[in-house]
Amino acid sequence: MSDLLSAAAAALGTPETLVQRSAEARAVATGATVDEILSAWAGGEAVTTPSPEPVEASAGASDEAPPADAVTAEPSPESEPAVAVIEVPAVAASRPVEATAPSGQPPVLVGTSDNPMNVLVAAVALFVAILLLGLVGPSVPLDSPGARSSKIAHSDAGDAGQTIYASVGCAACHTQMVRPIVSDVGLGAVSLNDSNQILGTRRFGPDLSDIGSRKTGTEIEAIIGGFGGHSDLGLSSADMNSLVTYLVESSTSESG
Amino acid sequence: MAARQSGDIRTLLGGGAEEDRIAIAHFLIGAAFLAIGGLIEVIAVFSLRFADIFPVSFGRLESMANLTLMMGFAVISLLGGIYYVLPRLTGTRLWSVSLARAALFLISGVVLGGLLTIGLGLGGGRQPFGLPWWIHLPLAFALAIPAIITIGTISRRQETRSFVTLWFVIGGVVWLPLLYLAYFAGDLPGLGSVAVAYSDLFFTAGFLTMFVFTVGTGLTYYSVVKEIDIPLASRQLAVVGFWSLGFAGVWWGVAQLVFGPGPTWVAGVAAALGLAFPIGALANASNLSLTLEGHWEKLSDKPGVTAGVLGAYMAVVVALMASFASFPTIGSVTALTAYWEAVEYAALLGVGTLLVAGVSFEALPRAAGRRLPTTDRARSFNRLTVIGVGGVLVSLTAAGLISGYSWLGGSNTAAYIDVGDGWAAGSGATEALTLIAVGFALVTFLGQLAYVSVVAGTVFSGRAVTQDLLVEVSAGDE
Repeated sequence: MSDLLSAAAAALGTPETLVQRSAEARAVATGATVDEILSAWAGGEAVTTPSPEPVEASAGASDEAPPADAVTAEPSPESEPAVAVIEVPAVAASRPVEATAPSGQPPVLVGTSDNPMNVLVAAVALFVAILLLGLVGPSVPLDSPGARSSKIAHSDAGDAGQTIYASVGCAACHTQMVRPIVSDVGLGAVSLNDSNQILGTRRFGPDLSDIGSRKTGTEIEAIIGGFGGHSDLGLSSADMNSLVTYLVESSTSESG
Repeated sequence: MAARQSGDIRTLLGGGAEEDRIAIAHFLIGAAFLAIGGLIEVIAVFSLRFADIFPVSFGRLESMANLTLMMGFAVISLLGGIYYVLPRLTGTRLWSVSLARAALFLISGVVLGGLLTIGLGLGGGRQPFGLPWWIHLPLAFALAIPAIITIGTISRRQETRSFVTLWFVIGGVVWLPLLYLAYFAGDLPGLGSVAVAYSDLFFTAGFLTMFVFTVGTGLTYYSVVKEIDIPLASRQLAVVGFWSLGFAGVWWGVAQLVFGPGPTWVAGVAAALGLAFPIGALANASNLSLTLEGHWEKLSDKPGVTAGVLGAYMAVVVALMASFASFPTIGSVTALTAYWEAVEYAALLGVGTLLVAGVSFEALPRAAGRRLPTTDRARSFNRLTVIGVGGVLVSLTAAGLISGYSWLGGSNTAAYIDVGDGWAAGSGATEALTLIAVGFALVTFLGQLAYVSVVAGTVFSGRAVTQDLLVEVSAGDE
């Protein structure tokens, strides 16, 4: 079999794996054995098949029914040499509406005459509209209603700590955002629009907007180091100091 | 030597047209990223419950999982589906296969580089990816390439009539880079914290709805009609489904900041406009149901079609949950809790994976000329995904509601703060529910492995089957 395969592959100038696969498919389609197919190919003979049907009909005989929108062909060496299949200039194919499906059934990919580029223009226009309404509008800074501000003046170490806070992913679990609703009573001063804390969107761990008023630096360092069910962030001592400084400075109670 | 290698690669990818080979490459690489991302996601969920035993924090693990699954799996796999259908629907060659290949390498490289960067703690911390700003740039560029290819291909189409899938593809590939640019803009210096938070949520919700749901649904329309060989029930419902998904895309993200420091009008607008989300999902699911009416029995040996239909149904569940929680009264309970984690998990790993499987199980045999190794394994993927994602959805939703109501009940003012633990500490029930979610996440992961096995098995060892041979026709051909 491998000799036959090699001979067939050499005769066809096609990789053996592809010849093997094509021969198997041809054998299933014709009822012949794979060896017979390979033997015929190796000798350069045409394989005896029911009839050299047009590609559409050939494909239609398969259990992978041909799509109405694509002309398909089995990659068999005698009808379409495998090499030609590989290198066939792709592509195209379809007349979904007018064409009759090879199976005799009605065409399935029914489309209407239109210009898809209109969809493109409308899609871009829609995006611009929701961008303005859903992102630009809500992001416009608002003046604080009163004298209070949520902006915290951090030291240099605190600023560096905020970068560490972001890079290690603290915001994936912790918010720094207190809302004016019952759920957040007791968490600290309500966050205003000018907040410079990292708001976050999940509160798997406690809110940290006012952590500096509740915990000492030593307690915070212990938690970051793995105490109380918190993962050990494995920070260097410099990074740890910066992060602790940032959190200690996160005290909205004092900023009000 | 080079020619020999090129021949081997072509053989490996199933011969056939260049366009089909690049589609197969996308499916294969997407599947590999699904395996990697699925594993990271399981570890992340574990670390949520057992935070003290993992050396990398949940925050970083979650970002790594998001990056791998959203960009590595969902984007790359759906692009494979797009490159598969575009020539068939337009009657012309892809505008540039080389550019498609370049984008594939670029996206893959950025995802791998991003994983390393986040793992080393050098990320930027912004959700959902946590990438530093300098990685956003090449990724934004790479995401624009598929839009260029799609527009270029459509602009020289031979087919004057367009099937509905084409709209979904156009919308998805155009919205994706625009969404990413909006996300990237959150890194601009001087931008306030509120703007950054809105930008993160705008992108996450928009990505899932306007790209994953939109493109996935469009490709499912194609797969169902082709595989079952029946016409689509309603073009009008598809129109409603498409535009509603685009219209509703971002609002369930924006709604998560309800009562936050943003303007108060946003919550009302998000709740009202977010109603378009379930309308779109329902339109698509009912369109598929109407199409399959009288043909349901044909799904028994079409696991790809089954996956697509299941994905469309799960999209309805996700859309209803997202829309429901976008109302301020509900949002005051669900915002910031595991409820939204459940919605996003189901959107990406449930709807997204099923819709991707819907097209890849249909496309691979035709493109590669190889049969799916076993339909049983493909069916196992469907079952495990529905059970696993359904379990995670239910358990995390329950955990979110319990913690939300415990906050309302005052847990923030008592033990919660003093203990210094997370929301799970507020109630023993949430701890148990998180543990249950871990179990179901493992089931989902088994389903993902089944998907990878089907994709790889089809390409590398599937039995021969009729392969599509795309031949060039001119505009005048009938």
